[in-house]
Order: sequence, then C-alpha cells, then structure tokens
Amino acid sequence: MLKDYFLIAVRGITHRKIRSWLTMIGIFIGIAAVVALISLGEGMEAAVLSQFSFIGTDKLTIQGKGIGLGAPGVGVVRKLNDNDLETIRDVNGIEIATGRLLRSCKVEFKDELIFGFTSSIPKGQEDRQLVKEVLLGSGEMESGRFLKTSDKYKVVLGNDFANGELFKKPVENGDKITVQNQDFEVVGILSSRGSFIFDSGILMNHDVAEDLFDADDEYDIIAAKVSNEKEINQVAERIEKALRKEHNVDEGEEDFTVQTPQQSLEALTSILNIITTVLIGIAGISLLIGGIGIMNTMYTAVLQRTREIGIMKSVGGKNSDILKIFLIESGLLGLFGGVIGIGLGIGISKIVEIGAKVFFGPGIIQAHFSWILIGGSLAFAFLIGTLSGIFPAVQASRLKPVDALRYRK
Amino acid sequence: MIKDYLQIAYRSIKNRKLRSWLTMIGIFIGIAAVVALISIGQGMQRSINEEFEKLGVDKLIIQSKGELGAPGSGGAVPLTISDAKAIEKVNGIDIVANMYMKIGKAQLDEKIKYAYIVGLPTDEQKELIDEINSYEVELGREIKRGDLSKVVLGINYRTKDIFSRKLRLRDTILINDKEFKIIGFFEQIGNPTDDESIFISEEAIRELYDEDEETTMIMAKITAGEDIDKVAEDVKKALRKEHNNEEGKEDFSVQSPTQLLESFNVILNIMQVMLIGIAGISLIVGGIGIMNTMYTSVLERTQEIGIMKSIGGRNSDVLKIFLFEAGILGTLGGAIGVTIGIILSKIVEIIAKTMGYSILKAYISPWLIIGALAFSFLIGTLSGAFPARQASKMNPVDALRYE
Repeated sequence: MLKDYFLIAVRGITHRKIRSWLTMIGIFIGIAAVVALISLGEGMEAAVLSQFSFIGTDKLTIQGKGIGLGAPGVGVVRKLNDNDLETIRDVNGIEIATGRLLRSCKVEFKDELIFGFTSSIPKGQEDRQLVKEVLLGSGEMESGRFLKTSDKYKVVLGNDFANGELFKKPVENGDKITVQNQDFEVVGILSSRGSFIFDSGILMNHDVAEDLFDADDEYDIIAAKVSNEKEINQVAERIEKALRKEHNVDEGEEDFTVQTPQQSLEALTSILNIITTVLIGIAGISLLIGGIGIMNTMYTAVLQRTREIGIMKSVGGKNSDILKIFLIESGLLGLFGGVIGIGLGIGISKIVEIGAKVFFGPGIIQAHFSWILIGGSLAFAFLIGTLSGIFPAVQASRLKPVDALRYRK
Repeated sequence: MIKDYLQIAYRSIKNRKLRSWLTMIGIFIGIAAVVALISIGQGMQRSINEEFEKLGVDKLIIQSKGELGAPGSGGAVPLTISDAKAIEKVNGIDIVANMYMKIGKAQLDEKIKYAYIVGLPTDEQKELIDEINSYEVELGREIKRGDLSKVVLGINYRTKDIFSRKLRLRDTILINDKEFKIIGFFEQIGNPTDDESIFISEEAIRELYDEDEETTMIMAKITAGEDIDKVAEDVKKALRKEHNNEEGKEDFSVQSPTQLLESFNVILNIMQVMLIGIAGISLIVGGIGIMNTMYTSVLERTQEIGIMKSIGGRNSDVLKIFLFEAGILGTLGGAIGVTIGIILSKIVEIIAKTMGYSILKAYISPWLIIGALAFSFLIGTLSGAFPARQASKMNPVDALRYE
C-alpha cells in the first residue's frame, strides 16, 4: 500500500520535470548554505577549542577581573599578589599553586620586530614542576633544555619562533634575542602544541621577568592544581570564598575570577555559538523561502490533478489516501533537494577550506562534517517538504468527488 | 499598447491569487532581509564616520603597540609624558594632550562597579581634549583645574540603577577607596562602556594610581596649513629617537583619524558583504520561485497563447506579456519586502537602544529603496526570461491543440 503511494508521488514529480527541479533547487540552495556554514562553524569551534583546551582538567586559574576582553592580567582593577597566592595555597584541596607574570613585550631578532608575550617560570621546585607540566604536557622539549633556576638572561621559546611562523628567520638555540631591549640567550625550544598560547610564548625565570617589567609582588595569573580532580568545582568555590574574605568584597562583586577548565571553554564556545547562530539564521531564511516554493508547487499540483483526485475518490479512495499521496510527494521534493543540497554544501565548505589554506595558511578553517549534521539536515529538508505540503494536501483530500470530476482547467 | 500588456499580465496574476502571493512572499522575505541588513550596516557606518569626523582631519593619535586586550590596556612599551613633550617640540605641531586611563573600582555603600577611569587634563591641553571629545556635560559642570576629589560620570549612573540607586549631583562615591563628589554627568554617548566611564582630573588620576610618567594615549593637533602626513612622519622620527627605535621597528603607532577610520571601514565592509551575501542567497531562491510560477503559468495558458498567436499576436507580444507578469511579481514582492525590511531595521534599532547601544541606528537612504525595487524587478524579469521565451516560441497550431 505504502509502495503505491510512493509510486503515485514519484510519478507526480517526474511528470513535471522542470517544476520539480526548480522546486528542489530552491531547497537545495538553502540546505547547501546551511550545511556549509554549520560545518565551517563546527570546524572553527574545534580549532579554537584545541587552542585553549590545554591546561588539564585538574587545574584552576585565578586572574584579576578586568572589563572587556583581553589576556590574563590586562586591564585589571587589582593585581593578584603574594598574599592572594598564600591564601590560595592554604585552601583545602589545593595541592600546589603558583603565580606567574604574563606580559606583552616587544621582541627583536635579526632586524625584525614583533610584539609577543612573556610568561614567567616560578622559582620553587614544585611550582616549576607544575608549570612545566602545563607547558610541556606529556611532550618533550624540541631542542635544548628547560630553564634552570640559576639562568638569568636565558629564555626558552615556543615552537613558532623556530619554525619561521613569527620571525622570517628561524630562531635556534644559542641565538641572541632581544626582549624589551634586553638581550637574552635562547637555551631551548618547546615542542609544538598546536596552540598559540604555548607556541608563541617566551619563557623566562620569574625574578628576571619581575626586573624586566618592573613588577614587584604582583601576578597576572595564578595556576593551581587540585589534589582531587572530582572536587575541582568545590575547590574553586572555596578559593572564591577565601579571596573574597582576603579582598573584603561581597559575593557578586569580586575583583578576581576563578576559572575551571570547563568554564574557560564555555566562555569561548558561547561567543562562537552566537556568531554561527546569526549566520545560520540568515541562511535559514532561504530555506523558508524554499519551503514556500514547495507549497506553491504542491498547490499547483493539486489544482492540475483535481480531476485525477475526483476519479480516485469515486473509485473508493479515502481522504487519508489522497492526503498521504500529496504529503509523500512534497516530502520527497524536500528530501531530494536536501540530498543534493548536502552534497553541494560539503563541496562549498571544502572549497572554502582550501581557499583559506591558500590565503591564510593551514589549520585556521577546517570543515567538520558530523553524521548528526548530515542526518539532521536530511531530516530537516524532509520536514520542510512535508510541512509545506500539509495545506495543499489537506485541500486536496477535502475536495468533493463530484466537484473534482466536474472541474475543468 | 504597453497598457494592454500590463493589463493582461495583471489579470493573470490576480486570477491565481494564492500562487501569486506565495511567489511574492518568496521575494519579499529575501528583500526584507537584505534591506534590513544594509540599512543597519549603513547606519552603523554613518555613526562611526560621524564620530571620526568630529575628531577633524588635523589631529594625530599616538598609541603604543602590542596591546593584549581592550584599548587602554597598555602595550609592550607604554607611552610617557616625555613622549608627549618630545612630540610638542616637533615642527608643525600646535597642541599636544595626553589622556591617562585605568580600570578602577567605584563604590557606593556596599555595591561595587568596575569601570574605566579617565583622567582629563585641566591645563592648556584641555582645549584640545574639548575639541576631540565633543560630548557635553549635560548636568552640572565639567572638571576644572584643581578638582582633586570631584568626578563627572557617564549618563548611565544617573539614568540606570548601577548602584543601589540612581546617582545625583553632590552625591559622594568611592573611587579606588577615595571619596569623590559628583559635580556633573555627561550626555549620552551611545555605548555602555563610554556611558559608564568615570571622568576625573588628570592630577586626581595620577595621584590615585601614583603614576607620574605613563600615559595611555597622546593626541596632537597640527598647525593650520601644515601637511599632516609630513608632520606624522616627523612625529614618528621624534618618538623613534625618544624610544631608541629603528625605522620600521616602532613600538608605537601614529595615526590620523582618517587612517583609523579606514581600518574600521574595511572590517565593517567585509562583515556587511558577508551578511548580505548570505541573505542574498534567499533572493536567488525567490527568483527560482518566480521562474517556477511562470513556467506553470505558460503551461496553463498554452491555449490562450495559441489563440493570441492565431489572431495575429507576434512572438514579441507574447514575450512581453509574460515578462511583464514576472516583472510585476518581482516588483510587488520587492515593494512589500522594502516595507518589511524598514520596519525590521527600526525594530532592531529600538532593541539596541534599550540595551544602551544607541550608536546602532538604521539608515534608510533613498538609494537603498530605489535599488532594492530595481533589483527585485530585475530578478523578476530575469527569472521570467526563460519561461517567456518558451511561451513566445510556441507553435500556434500545437498550442491551440494543447489539452
């Protein structure tokens, strides 16, 4: 029985080739646009997340609070200091905590000048271990060695300094590099982590950084490792409470923020989500119009097949049979349009990906196709088709057989 | 003659009401989206341009490079008062002013608010700052020399409940734990950051932060008749000497408002083109809808076409009738779309305003309306071209015989 409905619907579509094609073009342009935007958006999100999902799930970061967006320690009202660090160390559940300076700086190497940032490596043995864990992950140094506590004007550089990404000429161990007008010797290069936070940073000992940036008893960021990963949220709350007391501020008026890894990710993805939602919303308008196109085609089909409907009814076709035939027809229009649209959308986002690679270098925009996306857009296209077909199909099913038979074009 | 074509086309549109409406909906949604996006984009561009025009073409803005965050967060090598002095000595510079900005803590009773604290010079530099900062103090008076514990606030402190209550003149608030008396409120600037800023005298902010050297931004006005590009080069040269920079390796930037504006406009234009491009996709879909309707219409009226031709209608007559029909569908859809688009952008404007962004204004230029109408007419006729050609090339005998 269902097969018959399908056959009649398919015949209806194939009989009016041009009109069916035009109707489907309307759907597939919209689907293609939406699929391309979503896959690029998802790809971008994945790329951004990989830049930031670095510090491990057992570490918290504490920063001063500023207004607007910026790197840690930028434009904050009150810098964190030794008292804050001690307070955090005393919090129950903290295994180790350490403060670092993160400063924007100018860097010169062989007649080239760039603006980068310095991050400091604390002196204490355990503190160093924590920072090293964050910086190196499970990886090794690409070349050279890590900083020793006795190193003065020596730096370890992120991988981008060595691969020509930042300076045209790659920096090597033993080279002289000038940071904020002070010469430093490069003693080591970190292995690439695929994230600018590590790959373009300059590491120097904390006391050297303090001198260089004229910073005394202040930290831009405090990193803390919790002893039990599962309790990280409770520990974060405890830190907030302790610092509130230390800073003498009420809840909701903190001049600092405590971020769990999860929170940092959420903050990022929410911005990305807003952007993609707006774009997809605008692209979705064309899907709406495609749907209206289907509705239009179906109304016309009902009109042209009025006599056929009359005949079906007079030989015993029920209202529900007629309804199903027309609904299946419009659903198929949507579905076919969706299939072509997905193919086209994948093609477009691949082209954008290749174009971005040529113009901006690899890895910035990567299209990402999930099965959910493909399945979802197919289902959505089918849904649009069926929904747009409802009114025409209901109209067709309610035709009076006598009137329908008598109808003349 | 044209009147006849129009009448036939119009009759045919009217005869198939439902179909014509659905076709037009397809066009007008697309036109509405495009019109709304363009008018908001243009409005935003205009308000930004106005801001920069107020700065005038005879000013230079000097900032430090390498900022990691929001403007005012400070670059790698901060600017200093001695930089300002060095700029003052450059030939062709009339007045120089510096502005020192910090993020600070404002407090009333137990409630704390973090905001930009801007130090306004009160000496001879004030003249230049006044010229650049065209916003007036709306209530009370402005900051004067010697105002060490007086503050002028952005309008939001007066109109919104930033603290436990709306603030009034002569109220006292704590800024970084020091008492300041409110002596004035600025008029509305149009974005929450500025409207929630706190303005005190330069002496006061330097005392507050115990900072005598650093500054955030230096502005310079050039003497009338001087070539701004040449003066900018000289300023760069002087600062290079001051900062020990080699040419091409400056840790500061010297920009005229025009340059700043250009870089803004480039970003805005890219954003607009992208959004309008995506919205434009829906216009293509709408056009395809018109084509579809027209093919159907040609098919349904095959016999009519046969009759027309057999009583002497030429191919071109038939072509025109169908082209007109498609054109009317497009233009009517466009007209409704323009109206809806204007309403949409006005709604966005109102929403933005209630959120404090009165800078987001819709600007509907006559060209936008005319352009949108012409474009929708074009889409209609283009989409009608193939169906109309098909109709005009029909063989009268076949057409008459068509069932």
